[in-house]
Amino acid sequence: MRLPSFFSKKRGERRTGLPAWGSLGEAIYYLVLLTAGLVIGGLMLTGVAVSEWRINNQFVEASGRLIGKGLARHTTTDIFGNRRQSWRPAILVEYQARGKLVRSWSSGRLAETSSQRETAIAQLAQWQLNRPVSCWYDPDNVTTVVLKRGYNWWLWLLTLLLPGALVAFGSSGLLHAAGGWGRSEERQAAEVWGLLKRLTRGMPEASGFPAIPACDNLVNSPGTVLRFRLPTESPEAWTLLGSGLFAGLWNAVVIVLAIGAGFDVAGGRADWWLLLLLAPFTLVGLLAIGLFFRRLLRVTAIGPSHLEISDHPLRPGGSYEVLLSQAGSVAFRRLELRLELEEQATFRQGTDVRTERQVVCSEVIRCWNRVEPLPGTPFEAELQFRVPPRAMHSFHSTHNTLSWQLVLRGQPDHWPELKRVFPLVIYPSDTTAAMGAAPVSWHSGQGAAS
Amino acid sequence: MMRTAAGLAPSSSPPLSPQVTVDFNVDDGNYAPGDNIRARYRVVGVDRHAVTAIEQSVAWYTEGKGEEDLGVILFERKPLERVEPEPASAEPLVGVISGKLPPSPLSYEGVIVKIRWCVRVRLFFVGGRDFVSEHVFFLGDVPVARPPEPAVS
Repeated sequence: MRLPSFFSKKRGERRTGLPAWGSLGEAIYYLVLLTAGLVIGGLMLTGVAVSEWRINNQFVEASGRLIGKGLARHTTTDIFGNRRQSWRPAILVEYQARGKLVRSWSSGRLAETSSQRETAIAQLAQWQLNRPVSCWYDPDNVTTVVLKRGYNWWLWLLTLLLPGALVAFGSSGLLHAAGGWGRSEERQAAEVWGLLKRLTRGMPEASGFPAIPACDNLVNSPGTVLRFRLPTESPEAWTLLGSGLFAGLWNAVVIVLAIGAGFDVAGGRADWWLLLLLAPFTLVGLLAIGLFFRRLLRVTAIGPSHLEISDHPLRPGGSYEVLLSQAGSVAFRRLELRLELEEQATFRQGTDVRTERQVVCSEVIRCWNRVEPLPGTPFEAELQFRVPPRAMHSFHSTHNTLSWQLVLRGQPDHWPELKRVFPLVIYPSDTTAAMGAAPVSWHSGQGAAS
Repeated sequence: MMRTAAGLAPSSSPPLSPQVTVDFNVDDGNYAPGDNIRARYRVVGVDRHAVTAIEQSVAWYTEGKGEEDLGVILFERKPLERVEPEPASAEPLVGVISGKLPPSPLSYEGVIVKIRWCVRVRLFFVGGRDFVSEHVFFLGDVPVARPPEPAVS
């Protein structure tokens, strides 16, 4: 008896397999995730949502009186054996329920729980004894009473976040597995996922040119001299943004820690570990601020680069004029403009998604040595370049991209190297697209056996 | 360029090594964008009654460092009728797929990204097992890409 093989075998250009097993395994995996999400979500809902809903909709309102108050203490032990305590205000209420006088403790909401006993005592101070209050009791158990109603939306959000993610991930995966059930990858691409991809396409496609990105965003800005002004993809702008975000977030954390430590010190309870930790954190925060301002100074000192082009999209073999404008007060030892083709491949490595880049064509359009700025006047140059006649067109698919770009590289005095990228879109040449249909004739033969 | 998936089908149970031959309507398998492709395939070494369906497609896919992307331009699924009783038949399965090729993407031999065009013939057997044979052809005439040599100062 031959057992079914779970994985396909590839022999050269041939593959054999049992695709139903693959789809089944995938479906089971996502079904487990979906079920886990639904079960956890159900438990969360019954634990948080149902009780809150009952309080707001089914509990009976009554007039009561506060006759006692205290703190409810909750002790937990973590896996290392450390015991932690938390406190909540607890109020003793006397109220009429079904004609009887009932006395019961109301221990407030979960959100009122505090790890600081002083905070819980402060919360308790707002309740005054012998004061008449409105309360709501459970009609099924009259000794269960609350003094506040309403919904705690952030608690709902937090409790539903994990099961929500599991349900979303599991159901989308299950849909994917169901879409691929018994279908070959070609059939999926032609039918189900072809439609879905068209609906959810990340980058729009050029009309009539499959897998070539549209250049609508590259031709919506007119130039002052030439037809279009190209947008810039500046790595240094992203670096500046990244370092700014890092500096901001890091220092926000440091400030919060410092305020907490300050209150502790003022209250005579210095946490030495926190103070010791604050010193290197503050140092890193100051360095991050310094690095951000250095980068900001560099961007503003070097000045913006503008590039205008005579036509877009480009075609292989076509000649195009460009106008380069470099503002700023920095002198360059060397400045060059290149036409480059970059391959980008996105792949999974373990749990990471990585993108690798490789420049496969780099032609110098023009190079300048010693560019000195004139006060108040940007450096400008009008150039012409030609796209190689047999150049590959731009290409974009989900995981692979071929990007043509004009790259401005400079070596400024006293500053690190400058790189500014102006993306282009190149279509296939008119001649190859218009070669027309070849006559139908049969040329039979045997190729290499794989 | 013609590729033949070679191999002999075993006489019992679903045959797993059929021979698939594809003939293109151009001698070197080089097409220009907008050309009409017409590929005739022939499957031998298989009991045709063990085949439940054939899928034929013209597709491009990416190869290289990134995950594979697939685009199908022409696709046709042909369920095969089964007649009872089923005497074993070694008669070859033949078919033709034809259509107009799009202007892009062109075949490309890059460093970490490659784009290939192919005709695929996929056989589905009784019991759910399938067999696919792939026959590469070229669209366009883009030269092989190589990383630029470092500049000599």
